[in-house]
Amino acid sequence: MEPQDSIMDGDLQTLGLQSILKMLALSGKTGTLFVHSGLESLSISLRKGQIVALREKGPIQPDLLGMLCLINKLDPPRAHLVREVAQGNMQVELATLVDRNWMSAAEMQQRLEFAVTQSISHALRWVDGYFSFHRQLVAMESRMQPLDIDSVLLEALRQADEWEEMGETQLTRTTVARWLPEVSNDVRSLGLSQEHIEVLCLANGEVPLQAMAMVLMIPEARVAHVMNRLLELRLIEVVDTTLEAQLQQDLSNIIIMSQHMLAQQQQNLAPEQHLLGLIKTLSQCINGLLIHHGTYAKSLRGRGQLPVAEIVRYLERRFAQPLHLIAKQQYSILETAIFANGQLDCMEIINLDKLVKGEKLEEFYWEAVLGLATFLRTVFATLLNDEVGDSHTGRQLSYVWKAFLTEIDQEIQQYQLYRAHQNTQQRNRYSEVTFPNGPGWSSVPHSEGNPYWSPETQRRSI
Amino acid sequence: MIEPVPTVLVVDDSPTVRKIVQMTLQRERIRVITAGDGLSALTSVADEMPALILLDIQLPRMDGYHICQIIRKNLQFRTIPIIMLSGKDGLFDKMRGRLAGSTEYLTKPFDSAELIQTVKKHLIGWQQRMPPQYESMRTRLRRRG
Repeated sequence: MEPQDSIMDGDLQTLGLQSILKMLALSGKTGTLFVHSGLESLSISLRKGQIVALREKGPIQPDLLGMLCLINKLDPPRAHLVREVAQGNMQVELATLVDRNWMSAAEMQQRLEFAVTQSISHALRWVDGYFSFHRQLVAMESRMQPLDIDSVLLEALRQADEWEEMGETQLTRTTVARWLPEVSNDVRSLGLSQEHIEVLCLANGEVPLQAMAMVLMIPEARVAHVMNRLLELRLIEVVDTTLEAQLQQDLSNIIIMSQHMLAQQQQNLAPEQHLLGLIKTLSQCINGLLIHHGTYAKSLRGRGQLPVAEIVRYLERRFAQPLHLIAKQQYSILETAIFANGQLDCMEIINLDKLVKGEKLEEFYWEAVLGLATFLRTVFATLLNDEVGDSHTGRQLSYVWKAFLTEIDQEIQQYQLYRAHQNTQQRNRYSEVTFPNGPGWSSVPHSEGNPYWSPETQRRSI
Repeated sequence: MIEPVPTVLVVDDSPTVRKIVQMTLQRERIRVITAGDGLSALTSVADEMPALILLDIQLPRMDGYHICQIIRKNLQFRTIPIIMLSGKDGLFDKMRGRLAGSTEYLTKPFDSAELIQTVKKHLIGWQQRMPPQYESMRTRLRRRG
């Protein structure tokens, strides 16, 4: 849009949006009104003083089809088909749903009308910002019937007032909520209304309050009321996106560091050194995760600077028990690993080469690798569930984590292959020498530098 | 109206690194495509004309320096910024990367914030570098995604 097209502009403090719209309606103007405030902006297309289309630009890009699926108003395969046609344009999505008879034309009009009212209601509360009205009508794909500005303004003001009446609340239109992972009982027994259940269905950690209001066609303030109730019932929690971004970055750094260590230790050709490298990588990764959890654990975060002793107590309470269990049930070598200052101390395992050599050392190292890999999985699963639960961030981190675990497993399998190969070679050599009498497995001598893979080790395959 | 988003190609043989970079950059509204070896990387460059390439040095079959040289010799792709990723922090390796035509060098293990900062720095003006046929294709792809 060229600047000379503008026939009216100014700041919102001088002339509010309500007055601008009234003025344009009275004079029956045709053109586009642009309103900007901070990072948000709105463009309203008018024809003869009536609203024909509206576009809101801001940090939120609601996924209408996804939300309709969440509240069971659309099947995922149908949503997929519409998505391919509409290519992210909400107006086209609605039109396609109507064309395919998956939504009535009346519902589409109602939804478009609601979305316009909702956006204007939000913009009415902008204090700082500026506007400009352009004679040119920007083409926007919309099948909406023209809307009368007076009736839109009336409803928008009512919705804006509802927000004001909410008083002090931590909820905003960008608030994202998700189900608490602990909820396992049947929520129907709580006597929730249809509205509550629908908000609960949409609280998946991705849909902001504004988008919930849009898809349910209920004012944002009412959605906020419902959310407050669900928070009281401890069915949902509010997601802090900034915190989750930090948390994701911190975990990414730990995984990248561990992957780097893993790649570095691949250069160790000697099997003992290879296993030792794996032990160091795994224990460092565990300790990185423990430090991370000391900052981001749900019960520790948001409480400011906490005494180190309290964090240490928390970590030991949470992870010492699973470690002991793994040591007791499967990998007794882990009994030598201890918790000290909230960290896992594996020095006794790492320094085993001072006490034992050869095959026995490899056996111990191998058991430690398997034990630590098991414990690492437990630590990550526990912390992820506690910190982000089954949210979008949680799922993304799980996806990355699986890739890292695959790399660890490959390293472990590589060692298993080496042992199997060594084992076969040794057996063949022995058969050649002692074939006439027939070899006895238990009587095979263990030669230095060419160890057998004991039956016990074979049993412990991953 | 859909705003075009830049595409970054991540070339690394480690699935962990590929997925972490993908997750980190997607949060910044950057489209990420990945390749695990040199040949797939070159195919992706030709098919997608990424706005930036993050290229690991140690790759199976064809190393990062070689890929970088191939890209730089092609008139159509030579302006794509290439950020080398490597565990080697030596001056010699950095110099070798520069000689092969890399734009910048990130040492592994890199910090997520540092990665975002570096990528964003080199994405400035990406649309001007993009031939029109690739831009229209990218918009189609993004819509499909």
